[in-house]
Amino acid sequence: MFSSRRLRVAAGLAVTAFAAVVAVSSGTSATSQAATVVIWTDADRVAAVTQVASAWAASKGATVQVVQKDFGSIRSQLATVAAETAPDVIVGAHDWVGELSANGSVLPLSPSPATKKQFPAYSLNAFSYGTAIKKLYGAPVALENIALITNTKLAKVPTSFADMEKQALAAKKKTKAQVGIAVQQGAGGDAYHMYPFFSGLGGYIFGTNKAGNLDPSDIGVANPKFLKNAALIDKWNKEGLIRSQVAWDTARDLFTKGKVAYYITGPWFVSDIKKSGVPYKISAFPQIVPGIISAPFLGVQGFMVTKFSVAHGVESLAKDLVASYMMQPNSQLALAAANGRFPANTAAGKLVKDADLKSFGAASAGGVPMPNIPQMASVWGDLGAAWVRSTKGAGAITARKSFIGAQKSIAQKIG
Amino acid sequence: MTSAPLTAAAPQPAVPGASWIARAVGFFSGPVGFAIKLLLLAATNALTVWAIGVLVADEKWIAALAIAAATILIDVVFLVPDRRLIPLKYLLPGTVFLVAFVVIPIISNANIAFTNWSTGHNLSKDEAIVAIQEVSLAAPADGATYTAAPAMKDGELVLLLVDDATADLYVGSADGLEPLPPETATVEAGTITAADGYEVVQGADLAGIDTELNALVIPTGEDTFVRAEGLSVAVEMQPTLAYDPEADTFTSIGTGVVYSDNDHGSYESASGDALEPGWRTHVGFENFSTVLTDPLVRDPFVRVFIWTFAYAALSVFIQFAIGLFLAIVLNKPDLKLRRIQRSLLVLPFAIPAFLVVLVWAGLLNDEFGVINQTLGTSIPWLFDPTWAKVSCILVNVWLGFPYWFLVCTAALQAVPEELTEAARVDGAGPLQVFRKVTLPLLLVVTAPLLIASFAFNFNVFNNIYFLTGGGPYGVEQAVAGSTDILISYTYKLAFSTGQGAQYGLAATVSIFIFFIVAGISAFSFWRTKSLETIR
Repeated sequence: MFSSRRLRVAAGLAVTAFAAVVAVSSGTSATSQAATVVIWTDADRVAAVTQVASAWAASKGATVQVVQKDFGSIRSQLATVAAETAPDVIVGAHDWVGELSANGSVLPLSPSPATKKQFPAYSLNAFSYGTAIKKLYGAPVALENIALITNTKLAKVPTSFADMEKQALAAKKKTKAQVGIAVQQGAGGDAYHMYPFFSGLGGYIFGTNKAGNLDPSDIGVANPKFLKNAALIDKWNKEGLIRSQVAWDTARDLFTKGKVAYYITGPWFVSDIKKSGVPYKISAFPQIVPGIISAPFLGVQGFMVTKFSVAHGVESLAKDLVASYMMQPNSQLALAAANGRFPANTAAGKLVKDADLKSFGAASAGGVPMPNIPQMASVWGDLGAAWVRSTKGAGAITARKSFIGAQKSIAQKIG
Repeated sequence: MTSAPLTAAAPQPAVPGASWIARAVGFFSGPVGFAIKLLLLAATNALTVWAIGVLVADEKWIAALAIAAATILIDVVFLVPDRRLIPLKYLLPGTVFLVAFVVIPIISNANIAFTNWSTGHNLSKDEAIVAIQEVSLAAPADGATYTAAPAMKDGELVLLLVDDATADLYVGSADGLEPLPPETATVEAGTITAADGYEVVQGADLAGIDTELNALVIPTGEDTFVRAEGLSVAVEMQPTLAYDPEADTFTSIGTGVVYSDNDHGSYESASGDALEPGWRTHVGFENFSTVLTDPLVRDPFVRVFIWTFAYAALSVFIQFAIGLFLAIVLNKPDLKLRRIQRSLLVLPFAIPAFLVVLVWAGLLNDEFGVINQTLGTSIPWLFDPTWAKVSCILVNVWLGFPYWFLVCTAALQAVPEELTEAARVDGAGPLQVFRKVTLPLLLVVTAPLLIASFAFNFNVFNNIYFLTGGGPYGVEQAVAGSTDILISYTYKLAFSTGQGAQYGLAATVSIFIFFIVAGISAFSFWRTKSLETIR
């Protein structure tokens, strides 16, 4: 059949050439497309974002493409993604804003004054960044913070820190638990969950300069006020009030199995607590030292518009979606409910019925948003490690020494 | 391992599968095989043509040329019936993949090592200039904000504006701001929905005006202007920095401070203030000198290097010892349930490593972990620097010994029985036979694998990251904890110092690691040549 070798070669070339022509023609026909806004979001929010964005897109003659990503990798992938596949809108946390803005990856937003008024000032502030001029880079959607959760069968909601300490240790003795308060750390430490203790003892991370911006050269991890109170940490370590060996899962299990009176966590574990049947109450953290508010870190999640929207020809559409549509009460309610958080929009907040979410909101009073400047990357590890070193039971070093070391490390890393 | 029964069955006419295979070979050698080949080649070519289209559109000429050349070569090799080209049928695809997945990443990594790519230096210079100008825009002291509606007049895009403070109506065009007589316009819910002589852009048409809308700048003063921000908001703005393309400098309009290119990817003032964002640029050997001279990088390096070496060496040695021991024990043909025992031993190998590591992290928790609770001990497995190192090796051994068990089981079959028997006849005890005959012969086979395994264990990021996260940290251990190995230390250097991501520095450290591993491996291979003389 194919006796002639030349015939075989010719047949081969003919077929491949044909395939090439098909590929070219199909390739060119695919390039003409409608205005599509590509949105990167995490798994929890895919459905809500699709619903909200599709409703918006229908009225603007645009289409949306919602791409599911791991929440944390949205931040890192934005620096390396190819422009063709890059998103126009991303979901993110407010503390990414410094890095993303310094990278030029996100665009400043200007919501109308009427829209801005519907948001607590700190939520907009959290999303604002700039070494010279502060600009808003994100539309806040959901607020989150940790709070004190009391097992009301074992103890009462504390009236003071001394009261909490007493009740926690009494419960510890009764249930033969290893710790009094379940707060997660683990081998790597957890500066976020320890922040109520840290701030309550007078610690802060970055001071502010005259312009009101966070100042990476003013590090307060071992400031004099904190060091004066740091001996309390050694006392807690000695009596077993907190322990660095408690990882996130041990902390949760200690509380859901009724072993500890107090648990410090956020809305993400409320469903586990409910399932366990342990009677609980959510409240603010009591003051440790008179005159110093012991408050959690505040986290704000929201949506941002990327620089890629300009090249994709959807900049005005993306800005309209994020800075106008998504900031409206109805969108806010849907987007915040998607992962069980309190909406950032005040009007939407009033519509929230969930008592637990309201209690978390109340516990945020006096809190500060996590610093959003990129230098924060140098802080997390060392601050967490400082707690681990001083609260690991036997073999722990004094808190004073540990936090001074951390301060030194952080300063050296920021450079 | 099953080769023995097969050769025993050799006198039989044919193994059941053989005729089937022969028929299949015959079937695929003819026109059917040729057709399949053509289909696959056509698919490859089609993919190439599509890729070239994309690459040319992006003006990536070198990549387009390379992919075209590779495809033409593949076509020639597979279509031209010449005996001399037959070896190339195997070599060429392999080489293409080697270049694509090994050589190019290495070159790209080396290239990154010479740049300042990091947080704040992620754009090209042109992009950075645009971004600096954008970031420098500020609201003027009495700047207005407007509720805007895009509209068309005589084929040109204009903005119909409602001042948010005064509710005055305006038309904004490239010529400036003109008052709009209120009687000619309809205002609904704060925004203009219709106006005489204008066609408000609505609904589906909004998606098509992006480029025009963003190009519309409405001058309102000497340097102030109103610009659309999205589809329904317009804001008055004023630049605070002026770019001079001739001098390549930014000048602050308020203070007159001049920011010029500092050759390190930033515009910097005389007093050292840099404008954000910066851009990616080549910085020569700067990252290399940072690794060698910056105390933050240099000080932990030696400590981390020693631990990495010990970690990899001890892991491989213990894995090999346990694997070999088990292989010998289970090599006895009369052992009961030998197959099941062998299968069970391979289990740790079959579960994803990072899952195993996470489980171990829980087991080893010193107050809540199963191990301490079962043993009744309170060993600080993960919270004491020395014990944490023990834990790391322990978990790594657990992950690795099944591999060595398999390798040694196979290698043991290759040790000729005559030799061990001869040794026994000569009066050697079992231990002597093992030491003088079995082990040396085994090492000839396994030595290259041992070296490869050592190099692999040098870089097992997951095991450290998920077990200890590099901790526990001593007071003076800023970047690397007690159990950080070189690769996890590189990760921390890259992602948790300075302002976060420092890709350039990380690429540099990985080059150092490459040379360390390559050097150790080369030395080991050179040493193992002496083993081969045993044969």
